[in-house]
Amino acid sequence: MLTLVILEGIVLALLGVLVVGLLRSHAEILRRLHDLGAGVFDDEEDTAAQGVTSTVEMSERPSIRTREGVPEPRTSAVTEGHDVSGVTPSGNAKAIGVVGAEHSTLLAFLSSGCGTCGDFWRAFSVGEADSLPGRDTRLVVVTKGPDEESVSAVRELAAGATVTVMSSDAFEDYGVPVSPYFILVDGPSGSIVGEGAAGNWSQVANLLRQAAADAGLTTDGSSRHDAVARMRDGEVREARADADLMAAGILPGHPSLYPESSAEDESR
Amino acid sequence: MARLEAFDLAADPPKGWDGEIYRRDDDGIEGRAALFGSTEVATPILHLANFPLPASRGDYGGGAVELMGRGGIFVSLLEHPSHEGQTALFAANDVPWPLRASDFDPKQMQRAIGGQAGCQRFFTHNGRAFCLYVAIGSYGTRSVLVREVNAALASLELG
Repeated sequence: MLTLVILEGIVLALLGVLVVGLLRSHAEILRRLHDLGAGVFDDEEDTAAQGVTSTVEMSERPSIRTREGVPEPRTSAVTEGHDVSGVTPSGNAKAIGVVGAEHSTLLAFLSSGCGTCGDFWRAFSVGEADSLPGRDTRLVVVTKGPDEESVSAVRELAAGATVTVMSSDAFEDYGVPVSPYFILVDGPSGSIVGEGAAGNWSQVANLLRQAAADAGLTTDGSSRHDAVARMRDGEVREARADADLMAAGILPGHPSLYPESSAEDESR
Repeated sequence: MARLEAFDLAADPPKGWDGEIYRRDDDGIEGRAALFGSTEVATPILHLANFPLPASRGDYGGGAVELMGRGGIFVSLLEHPSHEGQTALFAANDVPWPLRASDFDPKQMQRAIGGQAGCQRFFTHNGRAFCLYVAIGSYGTRSVLVREVNAALASLELG
């Protein structure tokens, strides 16, 4: 009996040593964590209750570096689109419905002077941007207003089918720091679904496809307008009509193609 | 909302609409001088549309209405030289809107396009002579589209 009591006492003593060791280890871990800055954002009252506090100096986010000629991303947090109004290079008053439109709008913020913009003006003039990914995406080129841009230079560069609006307000509304810069706005939601800068049009096209895919829009550049144009194309329409008639059993020479009334009209 | 204002004409296009006010007074190949000679008075033209207006299009929407879907609306307000306002064609001396669904007819299209319908009215306002031309993408849904047409027309301000 005495032996058992002694053994039990020894076991309890060992367990006590083990518990003390664990507590010391835990305290050491907490101290190291505090040294590393844990709890730095806790309220003062809470930290006072917890005891040890320490501060950590947060370094500034490193600035984004871009290739030469490619502007940095916008710093403003504009996420909603805006309608664009201004003048055309010909001096006409122009308004572009961006928000609430059924289609998406790709706003290309360009200038007549920047070297990088040259590739975009060229690409637009030869129709490389005629088919864009997204919801019937239309391209609108925006330059700064006549008070900050060379109207004659823009008029020369904008010659072609691309809609061009000169509007310094648009640059301000969208927080565009410098050109070239591209912003894709989804019309129905009015939200900016993609934006970025690049050195040439092919890079922008890739960015657009990604943005459109992320937003759940079509990426093949197919357009309702293209489809409508195809539907109205004479040969396609004729072929479609022929196919529909044949499917209904109406072949060349079918009596229904020569109604009596027409015959009577002709006989008059 | 983007406001349009030029040549004593103004409009606040409805949400999502395009608009432009222009005058063919340049010397370009499509300019008035090239088309009619330099004696022709250049008058302003206002276009509104609930679909993207192409950069190049005719005064009555040629090149634009062909792109119009079934829900499309194209509005053209063309000012005529003021002396024409004395003719019988411009006898109506007030704006013709609001329009009615029955005002639209496929035969009033400048160029017939299957399914589409148009409406054309001549009038004077404050001594200025105007022609209003409206094309809609679907004659079948004219009673619905006419409400949208009238909302756009109500935003017009004729100096």
